[in-house]
Amino acid sequence: MSADADPITLEIIQNSLQSAADEMFAAMRKTAMSSIIYEVLDMGTGITDAEGRIASSGAGIPAFIGVLDKSVQFILKKFDADDIRPGDVFITNDPWHGGVTHLNDLVLAMPVFADGAIIAWTANIAHNSDVGGMAPGSLSGEATEIWQEGLRLPAVKVIREGVTDDAVIDIITTNSRMPDFLKGDVWAAIASVRVGARRLQGLAAKYGTGTFLKAMDHFMDFGERAARAELAQLPHGTFELSEEQDDGRVFNVKVTISADEFLVDLRDNPDQDTGPTNACKDGTMICAQMVFKSLTGSDSPANDGSFRPLRVLTREGSIFDAREGSAIGFYFETEVRVYDLIWRCLARHIPERLPAGHFSSICGTFIGGIHPDTGRQYTIIEPQIGGWGAWEGRDGNPCIFSGFHGETYNTPAEISEARNGLFVDRMALNTAPGGEGQWNGGRGLVLEYRIRTENGFLTAGYTRSRIKPWPLEGGEEGSGNFVEVIKADGSEETYSFVSGLALTTDDVVRVITSSGAGYGDPKQRDRDAVRRDIEAGLITEERAREVHGL
Amino acid sequence: MSETIRRVATDVGGTFTDLVAFETRADGTMEIVTAKSDTTPPDFENGVLNVLKKGGIDPETVTFMAHGTTVVINALTERKGVKVGLITTEGFRDVLEIARGNRPDFFNLHYEKPAPFVPRHLRAELPGRITYQGQERTPLDTSGLPAILDGFRAEGVEAVAVCLLHAYADTSHEEAVLAEVRRLWPEVSVVASHQITREWREYERTNTTVLSAYVQPVAARYLGKLDAALKAQGLPKSPYIMQSNCGVDSLEATSAVPINMVESGPASGFWGAAELGKLIGEPNILALDIGGTTAKCSLIEGGEVRIMTDYWIERSRKSAGYPIMVPVVDLVEIGNGGGSIAWVDDFGKLHVGPQSAGALPGPAAYGKGGDNATTTDANLWLGRINRDYFCGGEVEAHMDAAEAALTAVGEKLGVSTDEAAQGIVRIANNNMVNALKLVSLNRGHDTRDFTLLAFGGGGAMHAVALGQELQVKKVVVPAAAAVFSAFGMMMSDLRRDTFVTQLVDLEEGAGALIEATFAEAETQARATFEAEGVDPARVDFLRYGKFRYQNQEHTTEVQLEGEVTDAALEKIAADFHEAYEREYTYRLDAPVEMVGVHLVARAEVGKLEMKPAEIGPADASGASKGRREVDYALEGKHEADIYDGTKLAPGMKFTGPAIIEDPGTTIVIHPGNRVEIDAYRNVHIHLGDAA
Repeated sequence: MSADADPITLEIIQNSLQSAADEMFAAMRKTAMSSIIYEVLDMGTGITDAEGRIASSGAGIPAFIGVLDKSVQFILKKFDADDIRPGDVFITNDPWHGGVTHLNDLVLAMPVFADGAIIAWTANIAHNSDVGGMAPGSLSGEATEIWQEGLRLPAVKVIREGVTDDAVIDIITTNSRMPDFLKGDVWAAIASVRVGARRLQGLAAKYGTGTFLKAMDHFMDFGERAARAELAQLPHGTFELSEEQDDGRVFNVKVTISADEFLVDLRDNPDQDTGPTNACKDGTMICAQMVFKSLTGSDSPANDGSFRPLRVLTREGSIFDAREGSAIGFYFETEVRVYDLIWRCLARHIPERLPAGHFSSICGTFIGGIHPDTGRQYTIIEPQIGGWGAWEGRDGNPCIFSGFHGETYNTPAEISEARNGLFVDRMALNTAPGGEGQWNGGRGLVLEYRIRTENGFLTAGYTRSRIKPWPLEGGEEGSGNFVEVIKADGSEETYSFVSGLALTTDDVVRVITSSGAGYGDPKQRDRDAVRRDIEAGLITEERAREVHGL
Repeated sequence: MSETIRRVATDVGGTFTDLVAFETRADGTMEIVTAKSDTTPPDFENGVLNVLKKGGIDPETVTFMAHGTTVVINALTERKGVKVGLITTEGFRDVLEIARGNRPDFFNLHYEKPAPFVPRHLRAELPGRITYQGQERTPLDTSGLPAILDGFRAEGVEAVAVCLLHAYADTSHEEAVLAEVRRLWPEVSVVASHQITREWREYERTNTTVLSAYVQPVAARYLGKLDAALKAQGLPKSPYIMQSNCGVDSLEATSAVPINMVESGPASGFWGAAELGKLIGEPNILALDIGGTTAKCSLIEGGEVRIMTDYWIERSRKSAGYPIMVPVVDLVEIGNGGGSIAWVDDFGKLHVGPQSAGALPGPAAYGKGGDNATTTDANLWLGRINRDYFCGGEVEAHMDAAEAALTAVGEKLGVSTDEAAQGIVRIANNNMVNALKLVSLNRGHDTRDFTLLAFGGGGAMHAVALGQELQVKKVVVPAAAAVFSAFGMMMSDLRRDTFVTQLVDLEEGAGALIEATFAEAETQARATFEAEGVDPARVDFLRYGKFRYQNQEHTTEVQLEGEVTDAALEKIAADFHEAYEREYTYRLDAPVEMVGVHLVARAEVGKLEMKPAEIGPADASGASKGRREVDYALEGKHEADIYDGTKLAPGMKFTGPAIIEDPGTTIVIHPGNRVEIDAYRNVHIHLGDAA
């Protein structure tokens, strides 16, 4: 090698790590069977070093970036070094076995070998439509322990040295209500980790294994330097916030920022829940990582080094650090709360880096039943889009995914009607009052599903319903997230959490998501901007007089 | 004289208007003329007339004229279209603003979602619903239309876009709205989604319709003025207009749906690559087009370009961009060209692009005040570009400015000026290699089966390094590489790609349904051609089905031969399984369904046939310009033979290290490469032992 380990070669390898992760992402997206994967892109891909430290990630969901390293680290702990062989592929989904999120999210991980040793891992996580458990789709608000939420895969080999273990595939598919989907999605994930592994082997062969390993190390050190440089710019001190939740509980966070550490203390929080809204310790860490990353530079790479200055304290047995065996199906609503809690705690002190509160809920919506035209089972599993908060000088964005989701896509009405056999009566901006300010929060969503057959069901879990998105500098709070069900007989109910509600022909499920919160005194809003809002039908003249003093 | 066939292609770019003309005489001999003149906004037709004059072409004697223009993409990116009003289905006027909700720059809490091209108060709704199966669920009610159009008029709307839910499955409601708009407001420009695409996904289709309406008056004005100016000079027949699907279309059809020419520039080059590949017996081509600000690449297999409908503008890691659902040649584009700026971030990492120095100030060596080092400056510094023959000798290379800029980069990196220049070339090459991998290895193609064809002003400078990295069969640089796009235009057929969404399970009875879908599309295409005076006997079709495993979303395209019957389904499924496995490494034992058809309708309209010249002696010394030291980055410095590209003749052979200098481009030949000039004056480069 004429050019080993010069800075340009290292840079080239680092760029290639990113494109390999992107390739893995593209392979998964194109071959998955479940719409939650290929359309919603509830998935992620990543590359770690031999010790399971994250080096690069494919685009997707920010909340998935910090998952895959923890999975690989668990596999490394569980298996003896000589029991990890070339061609092996591991599978896990259990938060106490390296799975981090909930049982629907299957993680596939593959060791990459060169010169007889592991040089890296490629890994993939994606939401599978059904992994068994007490309810269709595996998520139930009624669950009180994890065994009701599906099959637990405690990091086992699904492929041994290139040979598929049919027994494992059999067990997984037999335990699913949608075995064909699951099988297709698992194979798509296997294809994805193999694509990445092939690319990494090519890189190591071309530049030499030593150079390849050095490039990974350097890349992480670079991530750390970038994070520390930004950390130095943040205000130092201890910041604390207690916030009441929709259900009356109070969550607390203390953030201590110093020149070399970003410490998030979440120990003073309620005991874990009997229901499925618990988060595990690793998951809580990921929430802190996401806020930390947004604060310390969204442009630099997100890798193990980027998160080195971060420390998170939790208390075992609390809502943010649940004990093994707890139900965790709806972990994401709790995690998005702690993510928003840290954000809100710091926003008043760092307003140039943090906008006002957004709708800040996954708004997980699950609708199922029989497709009237094909007779096949359908299941909608979707997060919703909503309004984002304003910041000084700009109105918030209307209708984008929450901070937990990123390169995620909503489902077109035309595709939903064909695939799910229901009608989408409306897909519109939510113009309910809320979120006004000198700069307005962005508008949320109104989405109406009209059911076409009997024996359907609705499960939903929304937060920021009663306690609404928080404004900055005197703006108005957002309008709140909820679901309305308008029965065929005309009766109407409003929910924020509902599990297995029976639906029948001509019932309408109306998803309503919040506007983002406003920034600054609404009376200070530019008059022309207010008149344009009125012309656009985003606000009534009456409300404009009341809140903007027009 | 009267038997001379004169074909002309003109290509209007941002800075220059290019011309290539081929004259085929009665005795079969050919002459090629190229010319260049300034682009003349806003009266672009003047630039076209100027370049014809400069090339000595009398419009009266032109047999066939093709024209390419960036008018559509420019109107879009510079936001110079007209005010549009949108009419859509009740309950869905916000689809255009909701878009798909994605946040590609996901750690950036100050992400700014792209604003819709039509503001909310100009988005109107009409009651009426079609189902996904194409049946009427609620009748259309146009009683509100007069008030809507009055409102549009009062607001100064100049174009109306109509996009109704499920119009891809049944067009009757859209047709009714279209007719009513024309009746109520005959002067307004109006377009409905089904005239552009018959595929599902309401946001993508609505946005496509809106953008088409947005550029329609601008493009129609442009094409009308061009046609009038050329006709006034005696051009016998209107020019054909280059489209994004690698075909040309009539001026009239293009004026109606101009959005189809959004990516016509790259399309003509890639089509040229496919045609040239066939001509030289290389049907598998990796085509690479490097210009001033971007590099674009596309894969051509078996002589066929791949046409897709998931095209976006302004989409990046930083922005969701805007979808345009029209047939566009499948390409990957990156912000890496000759003018791309090299920069060092706060952490001492070197990057090249996507920012470009453009034409002004341009690379530092232009001496026009640019103090950023660009890829071109690095190539000059390394001796790859001749500093005494910069831009064909038309520009003096300010080496002191280039040195200062490169040294500044080197200081930030802690390396020498030489190492900085080498680093810039290597980073730029790596960016391009990753793009080339996306269209090849990434889709299951083995690059060793492909020939790398490089064109554009900068393609030949980097092609060999890229080809060596990808281990391609060989590298070919076409004659007149710098104006290769215009060559592609002249090789194009009249071509229309029709995509129709039609869900069909591959089971008994499917054959007839699929056949009917194709037959309907074919009948329509034939009728349209006939109405335009194209002899139906000259129209031929290619049929592709878009298949997937049941429940998947993304499809794999498979070409279908002959009539589709139930008996043919087994072979179709087998072809699908095979194509799928190649791209994705596995196959499933799952039911297969067709999601839609892709029909290509083509009619030959007098395209160019190339004639080979006599192969002469191998000795290339007659083209030699001497020797100089060239830095090959990874392979170090070598004394290279320098050749004058204009003096290379068919049959000549030599070996690297060498440089071929042409007025428009520089070809870098690495040590060990073997070069030969073919009968069409293309430069074939065999890569050392691998070849």
